[in-house]
Amino acid sequence: MYAGHFAAGVLLRAKEPQAPFWAILIGVGFLDLLFGPFVLLGIERVTVTPDVSPGFSLDYIDWSHSLAMSVAWSALFGALFLKKGWRVATVIAAAVFSHFLLDLPMHPPDLALWPGSSMHLGFGLWQAMPYGWWFVELGVIVAACAYYIHRAQSSRAFGRRPWLVTAVILALHVFNSPWISQSGQS
Amino acid sequence: MSSNGLALFVFLAFLFPVPLLVWLDRPRSAKQGGE
Repeated sequence: MYAGHFAAGVLLRAKEPQAPFWAILIGVGFLDLLFGPFVLLGIERVTVTPDVSPGFSLDYIDWSHSLAMSVAWSALFGALFLKKGWRVATVIAAAVFSHFLLDLPMHPPDLALWPGSSMHLGFGLWQAMPYGWWFVELGVIVAACAYYIHRAQSSRAFGRRPWLVTAVILALHVFNSPWISQSGQS
Repeated sequence: MSSNGLALFVFLAFLFPVPLLVWLDRPRSAKQGGE
């Protein structure tokens, strides 16, 4: 899942406008922002598989994406914002953990319970529905953005251009479609 | 694309939309009225 994570970000923004939007957006992508450097450093492993959906195999992503580490990263990143209050910190922590929850239906079972665990989670929509997953994610995006637009229209605290925010997220989703991208379903 | 290339691609893909989305989401100014 890619654009769906940003959709979760706008939903959380609408729920708690006091939370810095940049922090929410970094939060929803936090696990993949760790995944990149972890692969470059040799801590995690991915194999490119151009002929097999979704275009890559996440061979070992336990330190960025396991359930236990997702909880830990959520708590750590959320704690950075405690000075803004518990509610803001909790929303930002939820942004980080939303990444795990949204990856869960898409990933094949490559989400470990904890680093080194033999048990892995993932419902595998990417492989079970090599094209259909895109429409499932589109449903998430439409629902989240509809809520964001609704809240933004009655608030002055955020969302000056809610339709353009939605358009950007939809554009990201189009570029990440299986018809255009072979390896973007991060 | 290599594994490292994919990792870098994913990293940048999650960073580059952030400034644009934050700018589009900025608060409405007091002068602007309802939009």
